[in-house]
Amino acid sequence: MAKRNAREAGRLIAVDGVDGTAVKAAARASIADVPKRERGGVSGWDASGVFGDLIVAAQDAGRPSARTLLLLYAADLAFRLRWEIRPAIAEGRVVVAAPYVATAIAFGRAAGLPGAWLTDLFTFAPAAARTEAVDDAGSRKTDGGFVEFGSAFMLDARGNKRGDLIDRTRTHLLRLTRTRRSRLNH
Amino acid sequence: MARPSSLERQARARFTDPTRRRGLLVAFEGPDGSGKTTQRKLFKKWLQTEGYDVVTTKWNSSDLIKPIIKPRKNARALSPEEFSLLHAADFRHRVEHSILPALWDRKLVIADRFLFTGLARDVARGLDLDWVLKLYQPLLWPDLVFYFSVSPDTSGRRVTATRTPNYYESGRDVTQLDDPVESYHRFITRVIREYESLAIIFNMITVDAEQSMSDQHYKIRELFKQGAGRPWSDWNAEAVVEWLSLNGRQP
Repeated sequence: MAKRNAREAGRLIAVDGVDGTAVKAAARASIADVPKRERGGVSGWDASGVFGDLIVAAQDAGRPSARTLLLLYAADLAFRLRWEIRPAIAEGRVVVAAPYVATAIAFGRAAGLPGAWLTDLFTFAPAAARTEAVDDAGSRKTDGGFVEFGSAFMLDARGNKRGDLIDRTRTHLLRLTRTRRSRLNH
Repeated sequence: MARPSSLERQARARFTDPTRRRGLLVAFEGPDGSGKTTQRKLFKKWLQTEGYDVVTTKWNSSDLIKPIIKPRKNARALSPEEFSLLHAADFRHRVEHSILPALWDRKLVIADRFLFTGLARDVARGLDLDWVLKLYQPLLWPDLVFYFSVSPDTSGRRVTATRTPNYYESGRDVTQLDDPVESYHRFITRVIREYESLAIIFNMITVDAEQSMSDQHYKIRELFKQGAGRPWSDWNAEAVVEWLSLNGRQP
């Protein structure tokens, strides 16, 4: 498994949030701040297409749980790191990963999964040099971001409504990014 | 929603009721060419004659995740991490939608390969055992695990007798060898080494898969009779409780 790498950490910006449209806009703004010759692009979720395939398969195959969705998210992130993030960093460019790890961990926490499992799951992903949290409530569209997509499968799970899950994810995400920012500052 | 402690009590009550036959999980593990699928079929037929309601689950077979994995395997598009994570997702979906529902309904589940397959193959691909094991949490331990032990030579001879091993089966993604047969031999040697360690760590029942088919079958029957009365493992409470709670299922 790939280990964290200081050089990568210096060139990766993470933008996390529950509202997919707002996350995309923030990622575009972030990369626009980088000098043109250093831009490595924006890496968005489902670059590997697993979630697109999931929609096709999910009709009769049973609803995926939060754990299953997060394993798929991790597989997609491994793909993004292999094809989009690490190659750009190796060329000395800046890459914006939007969303990155914090969004997935917050979604898992909101769905009731243990924090330790979530942290361990993503140990293969290098730490970002900077993390931005987009504090937007989420559009409730299912084709927006990962949280909006994933929460559509969580309907009725634990007796909660989809909107509640999105709101709880937002709360967890803000808490997570505050903690990370405070760690980076120290 | 019922509180976890209440769900835990319900899970224990379901699996430890002495007046009724409980759900049982029996896993068949081993490298390709070890004959476990043949033995699994013989075992299933025998169990049915003994009055068990038997359900079979196979590796990488969920209706949800298999269609995601298959084209990526065909395109040779998976890194070891992606391979590992997608198979863990397939396993999780089967645990939640096939294995636990069947166990809850007091059926006997035969798993043709279980999470140990993921562990052996992923570690043979260079991934960290501890990280891979955590992908499968909360762990669901089988009541019995039969490990079909064969040498790399026997595995290679049996597999290549009728076909050429495919790209991932032969480990060409990690050996970097062009010859699938040579690559298979090198990769399966690593996989078997991992299996042998796992068999000790997880207390599997080793079946000498170089023996005759009937000798193996009768040995499995005998070992099953000895092991089927084992008490339910409390280690499984977490997996059952999560299944009951996260999926909104109420017993």
